[in-house]
Amino acid sequence: MVDWMEDRTGIVTQLEHFLYEPVPKRGAWLYTLGSATLFLIVLQFLTGILLLFYYVPTTDHAWNSVYYIMNEAYFGQLIRGIHYWSANFLLAVIGLHMARTFFSGSYKAPREWNWITGVILLLLVIGLAFTGYLLRWDQDGFWASVVGIKIGSYSPFIGGYVANFLLGGDVAGPATLARFFAIHVWLLPAALAPFIGIHLYLLRRHGEFGNQFEYTDRLAKLHEQQRLEEYARYELDGEEDGAEEDGRNGEDRENGRYSDRE
Amino acid sequence: MVQNVAGGKAKPVEEEVITEDNVFDKPDETMGFFPGQVLKDGWVALFLLIACVVMSYAIPAPLSEPANTAAVDYVPRPEWFFFFYEQMLMFFPGYTLIAFGAVVVPTVFIVLMFAVPWLDREPVYSPLKRPFAVIVGVLILIVVVLNMLLAVSRIINFPEG
Repeated sequence: MVDWMEDRTGIVTQLEHFLYEPVPKRGAWLYTLGSATLFLIVLQFLTGILLLFYYVPTTDHAWNSVYYIMNEAYFGQLIRGIHYWSANFLLAVIGLHMARTFFSGSYKAPREWNWITGVILLLLVIGLAFTGYLLRWDQDGFWASVVGIKIGSYSPFIGGYVANFLLGGDVAGPATLARFFAIHVWLLPAALAPFIGIHLYLLRRHGEFGNQFEYTDRLAKLHEQQRLEEYARYELDGEEDGAEEDGRNGEDRENGRYSDRE
Repeated sequence: MVQNVAGGKAKPVEEEVITEDNVFDKPDETMGFFPGQVLKDGWVALFLLIACVVMSYAIPAPLSEPANTAAVDYVPRPEWFFFFYEQMLMFFPGYTLIAFGAVVVPTVFIVLMFAVPWLDREPVYSPLKRPFAVIVGVLILIVVVLNMLLAVSRIINFPEG
């Protein structure tokens, strides 16, 4: 069976390659932040799909359907709770993940695109967090979204278009809910998925960059080696100088060199 | 060590010459992604899942009154992760400044965020050797956290808005 799968798909080698990829060891707990982000996003997708079983995106029924999920539906409170709390944790974990990347300098060449896709993912998640708030159609979510759209309408030059795009009319109403629903459930998740793929592909391509403390031994070796090379060069220079001494004077130069060597 | 585990890929260990270019190619100590990293990731995921489950019963996801689109006096609160943004807007009062604070400043910040790899091109990684980047990063963190605290204190002080 394993051989057959390997022959037909090559999946066994791929898996082996994937699973035994060497990764840095010392900072391993720091690098769980990225996978925690992925895990929470997966939770978002799963619980979001389950919520769609009961949620009705119309102004008449949105609040009632959420109320039904919370009070009547089997495990409704749990599913919505996980959706809500994992969204909150997600924002926090993304912040930590970003801080880790920033302070360890992991965005430097050749990992610029890891950073850029990461920023895109952050913006998409913020968009999801914003659009999700309105879907409950309760006072908090509704008025917070109205304020949010108002803020968008202050954009220089494009403010009117932004507000129009989000509102779908003159005031927040059924069209707004439909748009926020479409953005929250289709547009942004569909945009999120490929960028997660690129982010992970790039991670595997360039390897996990550890903090500098992952490289102390190698850096020590490098510095030792550079020191030896320096010595060798000075000695060589010294010999050359010695040979040149009879020919040219170069006393000043010599002084400089010797004081360097000491 | 790890290459041996991967099976068949073990190369004869040759003394690698470490240069400026390849010193950061691989860390001192590595481990196989599985099981080392996978296990740690799994523990964190399990912890988060349990936290989500416990929280969803301890503090159920909120649902306030049905939206009353005609209400005029309702004071909405953003989610906590928008607190710092909302608080920041307080520093740009009035009709002329609001566009600047609400859109221009965040846009500039986002553009700068995209540009980070090109703004900091030093080939050193250690935070100790990149004082400028670290100071900027810490300042941003302080501003965000302070703004959050200001928003929280404002909400506690003026629960009615």
